[in-house]
Amino acid sequence: MTPPLDLAVEPGDWLRSVVALRDEGCEVFDFLTAVDRGQVIEVVVRVMNPATKAATMVWTTVPADAAELASLSEHYLGATWCERETAEMFGVRFMGLADQRPLLLRATLGRPPMLKESALVARAVREWPGAAQATDDGRQGGNPSRRRQLPPGVPDDFLRPDRSSLDQSAGTT
Amino acid sequence: MIPTEAHGTIALQPSACTSCMICVRECPTWCIELESHTEQVSEPDARRPKTVNILDAFRIDFGLCMYCGICVDLCPFDALAWSPEHDLAATTAGGLVLGIDELSRAWPNRNPTSGS
Ligand code: SF4
Ligand code: SF4
Repeated sequence: MTPPLDLAVEPGDWLRSVVALRDEGCEVFDFLTAVDRGQVIEVVVRVMNPATKAATMVWTTVPADAAELASLSEHYLGATWCERETAEMFGVRFMGLADQRPLLLRATLGRPPMLKESALVARAVREWPGAAQATDDGRQGGNPSRRRQLPPGVPDDFLRPDRSSLDQSAGTT
Repeated sequence: MIPTEAHGTIALQPSACTSCMICVRECPTWCIELESHTEQVSEPDARRPKTVNILDAFRIDFGLCMYCGICVDLCPFDALAWSPEHDLAATTAGGLVLGIDELSRAWPNRNPTSGS
């Protein structure tokens, strides 16, 4: 049987659905990763059938504030690495994953960096080459706009002086 | 034999670039820099002179570029293209920053026999 190309399952059916595919011949684990959709995190795994070369992507959706999913690591060689990476980068907890060590980051870093809410620090400390006004209306030239445009990925108040502390120091001097 | 559509490097056609800044903004690694100014151009049958953007500098830092192709995809004026040129090497990090001359020299000639 050729499995469907794309399969969306409930999180509770995750393990059962993927193991069923493996039993049908999708024995090769390709990758597992996640996508931050705001309220929910999508987790996707791609498994392949080495005989037919057919690949199947299985998706599921977990709430962002309770991102938990059964680990595939007992059933697929290679899943551990991707689950460790997805845990570290997106904050998804894989239940039953034996090796929970972080791959790259210190455990104390804070928010998982691939969540869209996490500020892109490198962008906050560098001048944005795109800060100049758009010129497709042919009027503004490449001149920096008066109203500073912020790059995507940096919250408005990130690394900028807190207004209240400025007001306070102005009051005391 | 390198296929002509190979993704070797990114090339620029400066005459097609309107300095719209879209590629600069959307490049995920911020490796494109652009400088431009405006000039008034009078056209014989126009009542008022037209303001046009003149491209002064366009640089891609290939030490940072990850060859994602987003700039090529998003440029509304087809001023950026994949080029099969691939022999980029430099002895300093700064040598990987290419300007208008180098980027336009890499512009792909995909139809050598159908040229006018
Ligand atoms: S290919 Fe990607 S990284 Fe390179 S200049 Fe274009 S948008 Fe930036
Ligand atoms: S998107 Fe195209 S036209 Fe706009 S600045 Fe970049 S290269 Fe020029």
